[in-house]
Amino acid sequence: MSNEYLSIEERLGLNSYIIDKEPHIKVNYEICKNCVEKPCTYVCPARLYTVDEYGNVHFNYEGCLECGTCRIACPHGAVDWNYPKGGKGIHYQFS
Amino acid sequence: MRPMTSEEHFDAIIIGAGASGLGAAYTLAKYGFNVLVIERGERVGSKNVFGGRIYSHVFEKVIDGFNREAPIERWVRKERLTLMDDNDALTLELSVGNDEYRNSFTAYLSKFLRWLSKKAEENGAFILTGTKVDKVLIENNKVSGVLAGGDVFKADVVIDAEGVNPILARDLGFRDDWKPHEVAIGVKEVIKLPKEVIEDRLNLGDDEGVAQLFIGYPTKYLPGGGFLYTNKDSVTIGVVVRLEHAIRNRLPVYDIVEIFKRHPYVHSLLKGGSVIEYSAHLVPEVPMGNLDQLYGDGFLIVGDAAGFVLNTGIIIRGVDLAFWSGVLAAETVKKAHDEGKYTKEALSYYESLLRNSFIIKELQAYNKANAVLNNNTIYNNYVKSILGFVKDIYTVDDNVKKMLGTMLNSLHRNNLTLVTAMKDLITVLLNL
Ligand SMILES: Cc1cc2nc3c(=O)[nH]c(=O)nc-3n(C[C@H](O)[C@H](O)[C@H](O)COP(=O)(O)OP(=O)(O)OC[C@H]3O[C@@H](n4cnc5c(N)ncnc54)[C@H](O)[C@@H]3O)c2cc1C
Repeated sequence: MSNEYLSIEERLGLNSYIIDKEPHIKVNYEICKNCVEKPCTYVCPARLYTVDEYGNVHFNYEGCLECGTCRIACPHGAVDWNYPKGGKGIHYQFS
Repeated sequence: MRPMTSEEHFDAIIIGAGASGLGAAYTLAKYGFNVLVIERGERVGSKNVFGGRIYSHVFEKVIDGFNREAPIERWVRKERLTLMDDNDALTLELSVGNDEYRNSFTAYLSKFLRWLSKKAEENGAFILTGTKVDKVLIENNKVSGVLAGGDVFKADVVIDAEGVNPILARDLGFRDDWKPHEVAIGVKEVIKLPKEVIEDRLNLGDDEGVAQLFIGYPTKYLPGGGFLYTNKDSVTIGVVVRLEHAIRNRLPVYDIVEIFKRHPYVHSLLKGGSVIEYSAHLVPEVPMGNLDQLYGDGFLIVGDAAGFVLNTGIIIRGVDLAFWSGVLAAETVKKAHDEGKYTKEALSYYESLLRNSFIIKELQAYNKANAVLNNNTIYNNYVKSILGFVKDIYTVDDNVKKMLGTMLNSLHRNNLTLVTAMKDLITVLLNL
């Protein structure tokens, strides 16, 4: 199969994960309400931060690549960032 | 691995089984120390990401039979630097004819680290995987061990090899977290292609590999670049861009590699291939402020957590620096052990070893260049005008083309003058 151009969802679907029940990153959405720039919505390489039609930020931890970008990019400290528990999360094989 | 009881005491505990942690573990275990490495990944290598090539010098020095045994994909004998605009590409290639030339090789980092961990285990190191260190413990103002997965592990000294997200070192008060101008975000895909196809398309011999860097188009003309490395039967392709620029320019980081792959030059290299993995990782762009913050009573920081990465725009090196900083930390621990104390003063030997090593010498030499290279003009106006100039020269039409005039035209099209170009060239040369 050739998969030359892939959406971010398709690419995340190729990775292996051992998903924890609990999110390892917690976002304080109250802070996000007043954020104008919302850099998380474009710098997260897994596109896990999205904005709905009302301007609310949503975050899904399941496809997380554990890079740490959102923690550093968030201008308002809304991201409580941790690695997943031992043995959980992304499982790279070829990187 | 043997079962572990809580509160067991070790000579040294190492947090993280990356190149830095394993460099320390390998060396300490070789000296007969009772070493425990704690790695949060379910297996060694499952959390680590790099570009694609490793410089072998430090591994050859430390590990006997390295070149024969290590999981090397290809020896890099072709270096390419490509200036790229929206449609075209201009490449400079160094092709080394001597097929004994072995300076750097391509590898899968996950596989490579797994091999390194086996070597450390052969020396007697214990590696505990699937376990995250939650906290570094302090007793009487000295680091005394760690809390991991609910258990306490004690040691004379703890080596922090946690990588680019320095959460533990930050919580201990050893360092601040990174700011967006101090790190770059790297995103990459690994693409499966038949061995013969890779060798044909990239003009490579059997065990020969290419390392190629791209500037301009891959980062939307922002500081950073694209990279491509060949494994035996896969190609790694990715983009690294400074986080501050990605934020300011609202770069869609999640699609940046796909956009790079659509460039006609890249498309023809990769067509028919299938993506097998997508990954992302931060790259430190500046070392931690003061070297004397890299150690304290019973504590040492190595590798990415200390900011030991050299990214010169045409070369990106972290694995060899990480491994070597681990080796130097191990040498420090050995000396401290011989002297019977692990105070900050005793561990300051690490600082002098670092200062005399290639790590600090190269990072310092590169420090000034760093400021010059973090300049949008290079990645935008210069890339476009050099490409435009060369394309004009090679394009035959009704216009008569003199070298200088054509060059001036191309510079002007990109808002540059000959005088500014000369000035910038001198600044770059003086600082590289
Ligand atoms: C896109 C990209 C391209 C690069 N290209 C190259 C290249 O081509 N060549 C090169 O030489 N370098 C390259 N580098 C740099 C290189 O990858 C790093 O400098 C090097 O791998 C760092 O090694 P390390 O041991 O310091 O960190 P890491 O390899 O990140 O290891 C840290 C380890 O600690 C573990 N860990 C973290 N926290 C905990 C905890 N709390 N408890 C337990 N375990 C923990 C992690 O799971 C991880 O295994 C690149 C980097 C990137 C991002």
